[in-house]
Amino acid sequence: MNPFVLVQPRSHAQAAKVMAAGGSYRLPVLKAGGIDVLDHLKEGLLSPDAVVNVRRLGAEGPAVTRLADGSIRIEAGATLAQLASDPILLADATVVAQSAGSAATPAIRNIASAAGNLLQRPRCWYYRHAQFECLKKGGSMCFAVDGENAHHAIFGPGPCHIVHPSNLAPALMVLDGQVHLTGSKRDRIAAADLFHMPDKGILSEHNLEQGEVITHLTLRPRPTSGFHAVKAKQSFDWPSALACVSLRVEEGVIREASVCAGAVAPVPWMLPRVGAALKGAKATDDAAIAAAAELAAEGAKPMRDNGYKVALLVASVRRATLRALGRETPSFREIRP
Amino acid sequence: MSNQANTDAATLPPLANRPLNIGSSMNDDASRLDALAKVTGAAKYGRDVHPANALYIAFVRCPFGAATLESCDVDAARAVPGVVEADVSKRQGNYHGATVGHVAADSPLSLRRGMAALACRWKRKGDVVTTIEQGIEAEPELPVDAKAMIEQAGDRTLDATYSTEVQTHSSLETHGACVDHKGDSAVVYVSTQGTSSARDGLDEALGLPASKFEVVCEYVGGGFGSKLNGAGKEGMLAARIAAKHKRSAYLFVNRAEEHLDTGNRPSSRTRVRVAFEADGTIKGGHIQTWGGVGPNRGGGGVNVPSGRYRLGQITTAHADISLNGGMPRAFRAPGHPQGAFAEELMLDEVAARCGLDPLALRLRLIKADAIREMAELGARLIGWDKRLVNGAQAGPIRRGMGMGVTSWGRFPSSVDAEVVVNRDGSVEARTGTQDIGTGQRTVVGIVTADAMGVPLEAVTVRIGRSTLPPGPGSGGSVTTVNSAPAFMEAGKAAATQVLELVAGRTGAPVNELTIAGGEVRRNGAKVMAWKDACALIPDTIIGKGRNTQKTVAADKTTGTSGGAQFVDLDVDVETGVVKVHRIVAVQACGRVVSRKLAESQVIGGVIQGLSYALFEHRLLDRQTGAMVNPNLEWYKIAGPKDMPLIEPVLWSKDKEAAGPRPLGEPPTIPTAGAIACAIYNAIGVPVRSLPITPDKVLAAMAGKGGAK
Repeated sequence: MNPFVLVQPRSHAQAAKVMAAGGSYRLPVLKAGGIDVLDHLKEGLLSPDAVVNVRRLGAEGPAVTRLADGSIRIEAGATLAQLASDPILLADATVVAQSAGSAATPAIRNIASAAGNLLQRPRCWYYRHAQFECLKKGGSMCFAVDGENAHHAIFGPGPCHIVHPSNLAPALMVLDGQVHLTGSKRDRIAAADLFHMPDKGILSEHNLEQGEVITHLTLRPRPTSGFHAVKAKQSFDWPSALACVSLRVEEGVIREASVCAGAVAPVPWMLPRVGAALKGAKATDDAAIAAAAELAAEGAKPMRDNGYKVALLVASVRRATLRALGRETPSFREIRP
Repeated sequence: MSNQANTDAATLPPLANRPLNIGSSMNDDASRLDALAKVTGAAKYGRDVHPANALYIAFVRCPFGAATLESCDVDAARAVPGVVEADVSKRQGNYHGATVGHVAADSPLSLRRGMAALACRWKRKGDVVTTIEQGIEAEPELPVDAKAMIEQAGDRTLDATYSTEVQTHSSLETHGACVDHKGDSAVVYVSTQGTSSARDGLDEALGLPASKFEVVCEYVGGGFGSKLNGAGKEGMLAARIAAKHKRSAYLFVNRAEEHLDTGNRPSSRTRVRVAFEADGTIKGGHIQTWGGVGPNRGGGGVNVPSGRYRLGQITTAHADISLNGGMPRAFRAPGHPQGAFAEELMLDEVAARCGLDPLALRLRLIKADAIREMAELGARLIGWDKRLVNGAQAGPIRRGMGMGVTSWGRFPSSVDAEVVVNRDGSVEARTGTQDIGTGQRTVVGIVTADAMGVPLEAVTVRIGRSTLPPGPGSGGSVTTVNSAPAFMEAGKAAATQVLELVAGRTGAPVNELTIAGGEVRRNGAKVMAWKDACALIPDTIIGKGRNTQKTVAADKTTGTSGGAQFVDLDVDVETGVVKVHRIVAVQACGRVVSRKLAESQVIGGVIQGLSYALFEHRLLDRQTGAMVNPNLEWYKIAGPKDMPLIEPVLWSKDKEAAGPRPLGEPPTIPTAGAIACAIYNAIGVPVRSLPITPDKVLAAMAGKGGAK
């Protein structure tokens, strides 16, 4: 690790100025919770000359607020722990609270920020280790194609086969989330436009420009929304598949449905066919819900060792839908202390 | 068809209700003497010692399974300010983590810059061998006798192949040493399982006679067998560099290196071909095993058949397969968990083929009466009567039960014990053994206090220094077994010397005097306060105890330790995720020294076995041979939410078992096999490969014909 300057901006706008191209620093990096930035520094994947610390910005106010137009605002620096226990989200954007609460570990959730969760880099083990000069690091091959790909993408043409690691991004997608910015001419970008597939640019996963800094997120409330993730390990594991579902239900019938998967593709993976199939189904029609969930598998092109993720995705979609409807999902027996 | 999941949530029975051995432990509830020091950070591990003006050292390592170092700029590294030494002597690496040189520098930062300045350019060699299957040229033919037996048995044969993956020790304190160089003497802080033996070779490396340096190892952050090699190559290099530069030196490896190059439990493959009768009696057959080891063969043994069951006429053969991966080392019951996994699942498969309850079959096949009784007790405690036949459930969550047995031999080892009584009444127990996390410090204190009749609080335990009387290395579950008799003797010797002084002063016969309740008593009545008695000591009293390999071997009060474990778990058949709900672990360990620590040892063994069964997997990249998960993120270890309710049951029915028996290793042997059997019970199809991850569960069920 090389020495760097720690910059403590007083506002997101100030942070954006420091981060802007042509600023005082050659390779500044933005740090909120710092979970992912520190991982990069330790592995030698990043050698910043400045670390711009936005962790405490906005921390004096509430992490989540209800806006006059009915939408919900989440501060960029809100911690995952705050989101998981926030009463507004628990009541009206359940899928966000559930997805935040499912991520990582209690210790990480107490530090990791909402914006950092969106912009964290993939966990691909080839990307994360310096000795592999992979595509994402400017190299010439994706080692996962003929290598160890049990945790890689089942969707997308490549050439890089990462899965997007964010729990929160798919939740934002199904609630028409907006990502609010400072540092450029535009003041926001839709969550749906935040990420791109590897064939549209392989060195980064998002569409923010250098010098753009996320200030807050807004989203549409949706009490009937739900999240489900499948993890091999129940403590500290990355999901093998996850699904976020938001529904509008009237008189026991699903009128609108938006479904997005995570951990299965290089970007949060919208499943419009599942959403369309859920539309018009009765909330109690388990067969229709199961049939709609099966459509999540459409277009999946598993690699050699990750075919099992297709079944996990289907199960996640079905269970997230049931959770959105307030229904019970299969669970293990409890151990009571 | 029924679905019993989601019923009767487990709750932890209070300690007082948990069954214990007949009789009692020496101490039921003492916490570790160093518990507070450990949780507050006051306990200094070797890794925590940073002498002033120390050199920091790191190995240069091969980043792939097989590669040639094409170029490496040693001069550039030496030119980095602060770098005092850069040496790269080898050009070839045949596993990820293989050492080819080292850099030493004034500070961790200079070291890091020096390492970067080397700018090693490695060229990968062609094919690497990353799995046992790759290394097997042809499946072996059956020996003639086994072939005849199996042909004769017709349909009543089982031909199954079981496999396990490499498990790394993952010690929380990584391997390494710190040499505090003091000119004509040195203190060497080593993270080791053998303080007394760690001196070997250091004299030469340090250029100092053994009388001029001390090895200190007061605390060890785990070893599990991987720290039995004295000072290790880390300590030897640190010592050589310290000697050369006449400076202190520090070399502790990082987390990745700990996975790559400090040993592991080798992978295994076991092909079982056995013939059985309709009633499940196993006539015999042939078991071929393979061990997936490092570039040099050796260390890949698989302990199957274990000898715990009557399996008829079994012939065996074994071959080590060289992989482009780090070398194995002893790992908590080497060869056993992998062998027990194959053996237990094989028995469940035979039982299923015969339509038998696997417990009933085992009760017939278990050789040792004590283990059979433990199995009967464990079955009652887990509620085996609720077990359904394999695959008899519907619904997404299915419940399964399984079991396994264990045993461990007794290995005699020499121990010298000293118990010092000071004039103020304080007591010191001294031996050069170490506490690798087992609680040995506390065990020594409890045995000493028990032998003397003084409270545990009065005893200060000094261990972990090579200048203390030599104690055993912590391997083979020997430490308590061999230390306890020595401290019994030493404690009694010290107490007798105090009592002789009291006898001399009061005229009471020494054999009528006892120590209890802070007093010296005669026939239960106070003769003198302990403090006053100790004030009679002219200088200090030293009671000595010695255990030699001979005396332990002759001691009929101790012996082997058996055990039986039972698992109750849930499998989510839509996702393949397994959640273990309860594990009952009945474990013999002779006389219990410390109930809390003994239970802790059993619980720890079960946790390590569970983690091995479901998660742990050193994954070598098939293209480059590099380990893709040298971290604790993708090298998955069971965490808090993966824990079942673990109920340890300490068993000692044999009242003659006056001495402690081995306990470190046996509790980790049967867990993975029992879990595999329970998964088979839940889903109706065996998963013959560890770790049993969701993909394998789903694949096994799909192979069954898609039954849901």
